[in-house]
Amino acid sequence: MMCSHLTMSTRTIAGLLSSLLFAILVIPLNAQPTRDCSQYYDVRQEVTLSGTVSGVPARPGPGMIMGSHLLLTTVSGPVDTSLGRWGLQGKGSLSLIPGQQVEVTGVMKTLKNKEVFVARIVKVGDKVYTLRNEHGIPLSPQARGHAIEMGQNGGTL
Amino acid sequence: MSRKVHSSISAALVCVVVGYLTSCGNSSSKTVSAVATTMATSGTVQSVTVGMAFAAPLAVKVMSNGSPAGGVSLTFTAPSSGPSGTFTNGMVTETDTTDSNGVATSSVFTANRTAGTYAVTAAAAGSPTLVRFSFTNTNVRTTTYSFSLSGLEAICGSGNYYALAGSVIIDANGNVVAGEQDYNDAFGCTSPEPKGDTISGGTLAVDPSGQGTLTLTTSNTKLGVSGTETLGVQFVNINHALITQFDGSATSSGSMDLQTLPSTLSGGYAFTLSGVDPLYNPVARGGVFSITGNSLSNGVVDVNDVGTVTTGTAFTGAVSTPDSFGRGTITGTGMADTIGYYVVGPEVIRIIDLDSTDSALGSAFGQGTTTFTDASLGSSVFTVDANIEGVEFAVAGMLTVPTAGTFQGVADNDEQGMIYGGSIAGNYSISDAVSAVTYNGYGNLMITPTALGYFTTAGIYMTDPSLNLNDPNNTSGGGGALLLALDPYFAGGTGVVTPQTDTATSSFAGNYAFGAQDYYTGNPGWEFDFVGQGSISGGNLTGTGLVSDPFCFFIFSPGIYSDLPFSGTVTPDPFNPGRYTLTLNVTAAGSLVPFQVVIYQASGGQLFWVDEDTTVTYPNDQIGTDLFSGSLQQVGSLTALPAARRLAVKTHVARNH
Repeated sequence: MMCSHLTMSTRTIAGLLSSLLFAILVIPLNAQPTRDCSQYYDVRQEVTLSGTVSGVPARPGPGMIMGSHLLLTTVSGPVDTSLGRWGLQGKGSLSLIPGQQVEVTGVMKTLKNKEVFVARIVKVGDKVYTLRNEHGIPLSPQARGHAIEMGQNGGTL
Repeated sequence: MSRKVHSSISAALVCVVVGYLTSCGNSSSKTVSAVATTMATSGTVQSVTVGMAFAAPLAVKVMSNGSPAGGVSLTFTAPSSGPSGTFTNGMVTETDTTDSNGVATSSVFTANRTAGTYAVTAAAAGSPTLVRFSFTNTNVRTTTYSFSLSGLEAICGSGNYYALAGSVIIDANGNVVAGEQDYNDAFGCTSPEPKGDTISGGTLAVDPSGQGTLTLTTSNTKLGVSGTETLGVQFVNINHALITQFDGSATSSGSMDLQTLPSTLSGGYAFTLSGVDPLYNPVARGGVFSITGNSLSNGVVDVNDVGTVTTGTAFTGAVSTPDSFGRGTITGTGMADTIGYYVVGPEVIRIIDLDSTDSALGSAFGQGTTTFTDASLGSSVFTVDANIEGVEFAVAGMLTVPTAGTFQGVADNDEQGMIYGGSIAGNYSISDAVSAVTYNGYGNLMITPTALGYFTTAGIYMTDPSLNLNDPNNTSGGGGALLLALDPYFAGGTGVVTPQTDTATSSFAGNYAFGAQDYYTGNPGWEFDFVGQGSISGGNLTGTGLVSDPFCFFIFSPGIYSDLPFSGTVTPDPFNPGRYTLTLNVTAAGSLVPFQVVIYQASGGQLFWVDEDTTVTYPNDQIGTDLFSGSLQQVGSLTALPAARRLAVKTHVARNH
């Protein structure tokens, strides 16, 4: 989650400062500052991974974030995928078994020096499961149900 | 008129009006007796506390011609004003029919709230003969409490957020005299509005430590167990208790406080309100407003609705006059169609969203006469708790203010099992202006990013410096503010700022009441709660508690546990006076869970704790990790509690769900 600490030349920094000054001048006074560093889930950083389900642990292990997890094997290697508190629970939840091919859309995070892929959408075959909203907040079974009733994206499609 | 003539006329009248009484008018039936008699057989003379039900029903036997007269219509009538009572139909009259034994029995008769002696009469239709019952409504001292709690329900589909707020009158013996409440899960179990549920009976029973139960007999059979709710209670003093739902129908945490009526709501208030929106996503609001008469004005609200943050929205509204239980409504705010409120006192109301499509619970606290500036915030302890439908987290910390507008300190954040914390710093502003309007005590607080995980931003809403937010009737420990989490990811989070006045370890000693709300990953539920009490001596905590675990945190079956042992050793943080660590050992159904807890001390009287486990092995091996937040409050005098006394009893009630 930490901000990137980049090594930059003085010239680059000077250029950036100039740009920043320009930006300050043109940004409306009432604009809200963006805080990418502190944003847990930045939808602009989403990527989609394809892989094979290698495991669905009954509970998160030590050092893993709370909630359901999916262990995914991708061409880049194994990926610990967080499905959130209700990913495998309740009506409209995911049902996965090892060996299944899935596509997962989410954001790769480094939490406590450990990488975890925070999944927002999981596609299994032709079924799409929305597990989190655009802020990364897990959707409860009730919220999925309401979203489906309201015709909004938020549950099994 | 002689007695014989009178009796004959009475019998004739009964014959005329009650045609089928024995064989009146039917020459083919048995012969009508010349004498019909009515007599009381039950409940003739009774006495009960105002508002309570009389023990025995009213029963009258009708004889005709020496035989029981069945099918006779008989009306019971109580006085229409003054000392009196009502039958289960809510009326002062009730008509019943005699059975084959000639006996007509009334429904339960409940005294009204006026003391005195009076007569209830019974008469067969058309008969001038009256049977009299002598009743007395006795006046005893009563205490009224307002209560509110929220959590996760195991009824109504299970796994839903719910909020419950109400007011209950309890006599000196612990009998629940009367009350009102509103329950809302936004999932089909919402109290019928506009009146909510009535509370007609129940019992408050506690052991000498102030720990026990409050049963509430409600008019809503969907709730609790067939309409009877049981709350676990842990009194801190006679005016204040920590509470949890304790009947397996749900689990939650909240408080119960002495209610002062009449209370006139007036002046500025700060508030937070957290719950679920119409799509059942986590939402919380916070802000300030003013009340003048029935008008709510000068309101401004910040909202974090499932990550969509909107700040500085102006609002107004209308405030109804509260009823005799201190219950009223606030409408027209745009936050909900109707917000119900229960008065605690003139500066404190519990607020609950009454809409059937959304639900929330919170409080509004008075701001007194203070004009707040950045200098109004001093050294403080703060906590922010998660919403049960949102991301799991628990924040606690303490801060000092080197210069007005900036702060530094230390804090902990268990964020989905990831533990962040250490030194923090940041800035804040109080009494901010929105669209050129300055709102007293309305502001925001920003923590330097990454210091406390992803938690960085909160709305801050200042409260009366003389008002204790955790124990509103406590004249000490006042001041502080309410917090609203404004980072998108922490939607639904709300908290409290409490002035830090004493960090001495020696002050953290004596008897304490404690409670917490714990979130974990589970199915079909993900919460358990506890309240308890114990002593801190030489850094050792030893106590007992009530644990509400309907969703199987401790073992693979639901449990309601009483008198569970709580123990641990409190270790002061040598670098941060006022911060402690504690391994809190709780054993339920033979399963020990050692919770890794951090405590922040506002004073010797008020402390706050969060659980941030990383290495716990859970008896229920489906649990990956958990977190909780709550408080410890020094116990005051518990004499004169309006409660029945009982010994602590170990129980484990399993309930299927």
